Amino acid sequence: MRYSSLSGTRVIDLTHYIAGPYATKLLSDVGAEVVKIEPPAGEGGRRTGPLPANARDLDRGGLFAFLNTNKFGVTLNLKHERGRELMFRLLDGADILIENFAPGTLARMGLAPSDLLARFPRLSIVSISNFGQDGPLRDAPLDDLTLFARGGWTFPVGEPDRAPLTPPGSLIQYVAALYGAIAAMQSLFARDMGLGHGQHADISILEAGVSTMIYESVAFQYSGALRVRAGKRFGVGPFMIVTLECRDGYAGLHCVTDRQFESLCELMNRQELVKDERFCTALQRMVNNDALLAIVEPFFLEHDRVWLYREGQNLKIPMVPIPSVAEVLEWEQLKARRFFETIDDPVLGPIRVPGSPLRLSSHRGAPSRPAPRLGEHNREILGGRLGISDRELESMRAGGLI
Amino acid sequence: MSTMVERKLRVVDLAMGWAGPLVGQMLAEMGFEVVKIEDTLRFDWWRGSLSLADRDLRPIERSAVFNSANRGKLGTTLDLSSPRGVELVKRLVADADVVVENYSPGVMKRFGLSYDVLSAINPRLVMVSMPSFGSEGPECEARGYGNTIEAMCGVTGLTGYHDTEQRYTLSNALGDPIGGLNGTFAVLVALRERERTGRGQWVELAQVEAAVPLVADALMEYQLNNRIPHPIGNRHPSHAPHGVYQCAGEHGWVAFSAPGDDRWRAIARVLGIEGDARFATESARKRNEDALDAKITEALRDKTADEIAAALIAAGVAAAPVYSAPEVMSDPQIQARDFFVPIDRAIVGTHLYPGAVAKFSSTPLVTDRPAPLLGEHNRVVFRDILGMRDAEIDALEAQGIIGNEPRE
Repeated sequence: MRYSSLSGTRVIDLTHYIAGPYATKLLSDVGAEVVKIEPPAGEGGRRTGPLPANARDLDRGGLFAFLNTNKFGVTLNLKHERGRELMFRLLDGADILIENFAPGTLARMGLAPSDLLARFPRLSIVSISNFGQDGPLRDAPLDDLTLFARGGWTFPVGEPDRAPLTPPGSLIQYVAALYGAIAAMQSLFARDMGLGHGQHADISILEAGVSTMIYESVAFQYSGALRVRAGKRFGVGPFMIVTLECRDGYAGLHCVTDRQFESLCELMNRQELVKDERFCTALQRMVNNDALLAIVEPFFLEHDRVWLYREGQNLKIPMVPIPSVAEVLEWEQLKARRFFETIDDPVLGPIRVPGSPLRLSSHRGAPSRPAPRLGEHNREILGGRLGISDRELESMRAGGLI
Repeated sequence: MSTMVERKLRVVDLAMGWAGPLVGQMLAEMGFEVVKIEDTLRFDWWRGSLSLADRDLRPIERSAVFNSANRGKLGTTLDLSSPRGVELVKRLVADADVVVENYSPGVMKRFGLSYDVLSAINPRLVMVSMPSFGSEGPECEARGYGNTIEAMCGVTGLTGYHDTEQRYTLSNALGDPIGGLNGTFAVLVALRERERTGRGQWVELAQVEAAVPLVADALMEYQLNNRIPHPIGNRHPSHAPHGVYQCAGEHGWVAFSAPGDDRWRAIARVLGIEGDARFATESARKRNEDALDAKITEALRDKTADEIAAALIAAGVAAAPVYSAPEVMSDPQIQARDFFVPIDRAIVGTHLYPGAVAKFSSTPLVTDRPAPLLGEHNRVVFRDILGMRDAEIDALEAQGIIGNEPRE
């Protein structure tokens, strides 16, 4: 879904893989004009998975097709003088430049942020990098596995008698992308509500991840209690938040308040437990958590996920089935809300992708445009916008510039 | 240095928990004036969450997480079940720019504070509502928290070890920060549009929808290859080694991986386990992964996670100790960039809180102000913003419409 809230806002996108492209996607989905500039060979994200089995000559994987909807695709070799010159012309009149190169890369290309800010006073630059633009580890290698570990996400998850458990996928990249999109908006507010000029925002993906760990970082200082792996439990505390096996999979139980506990007892038809002195307060339920789990676990094992979800929620207990991604895609609630959007991708065919989570009352929203093919909008942007003739575009192509 | 927004923009923050309050906090960091309104009867329930601090402290003021997610706000209370309380909300909204709320669907309407009512008072108002599963749809009444949203968006189904079926909840109630970040973005987008059109609008943000993009890769794998990915835990579909390995010390674990033979040779050199033919190629390492992991673990037995990570990084390998919270906070990189900010807050004293993730060169975010006590700014807000006389405010207090104590 594409809204037009930010119509008139121009973003130059020098990003690759996930953290940068998701940031600019958030902006393009709400109507900013995002011109994605790639090297003539394309950004690395085009060739990362998931790819269809036996895929050949694709200029995109499935994730790329999602992360780059509603953007314009232009190729430009920024190592050439002419490429940089065209880049400057695109930046002239742009509001935001977003990049997620390794720190120092822009400067080596002759596009140092301080020079760009001096040359284009209304431009703001959002830089997203692993460790940020300074600090002793700035240039150290980091991937999702080690980002989760260093950022404190891995330590408290998993079985006590096994290794700490790495979270799935690239979750922190998305967190950093959200900070990036917000920073882009913030710089527009600052520019237009007093400051009068653009500025540079430096976002560390590591710090973005750490910012979400307040149950650990802040709570630890308050209590002195180190949160360690607690298996299927969500930590140890005056609550029972736990992921339990049931007849056909796993379900989540969130039992915190006395009222939720009373409802749980009603659901299990074990009302006598409400008055049981082992469980009658949240604190007692924490102390006697093992005894309580020994009662709850067999109950879950006897029931199906959907039954537990429906009956538990009827009693106002925040219980949930643990869906697979296939079930998320078919979930009635999201279907009724038309959340997933079908995009007729020119390479992959029809695909269903998450729509914008923003429902804006002033818009109906238009269908999303698929992610651009490599250089798809060279003519439209370089020709239409900058006035480069078809003949010159052809010679640029021959010369490896686009 | 100036704050980010120089013109006064006001937020009426009716949110509770983490996701909703994070929005107001991020706006406060920009210089918005954020008036948090708590119901005197049903104050922000996060005040009672994880209150494991000193039990002699006042229970509703010692929550580490509440105090983390409400920094820089003005704290007020109002009895939202009384006509007078609702009227005062409306008076605050009349001159506000933003309302943020995350009540269950229908609650704002029952208060008489639906967007229709509020926008009639203030057509420039931007209101963001953040229900868990949406304000409509067959399951919109279902209750959700950070963890349950994390489950329903598909993350929990992917969280587990490669060789067992048990699923795990992450430790940070991921749905909450994701909801809060999206909510902040929503406010800024709608305000930006207002600059152009002059009109406010209502933005509905179903928190679970904000979190579904986190599993986009698995959604695409399912659609393109008709395969539902099983959790892979500490392993990788094609690389080995790739994992979390035990080192010396009580909590000593280190994470690293070898994407490709060059990295593997660097790892083997650092660990002193070169030359084993079983591990010569990636496919061989993948085939013999259990033996490989055992050999690595053996080699790490007397080494600390810090020294191994440093040696591997020096050899060009992505590596990291598996840090606990205090280790994250004392990490030289985190410290060099002053990421954590000390804040002195009444009742609990001085602690470090996460600071600005986006570091701005001209107008830094303001992150060093404490979270309010319950009703701490009642007098300031009702006198200075609404222009009420002290006697009127005294009367509100006497009637229990405002207060600094939770009402039974």
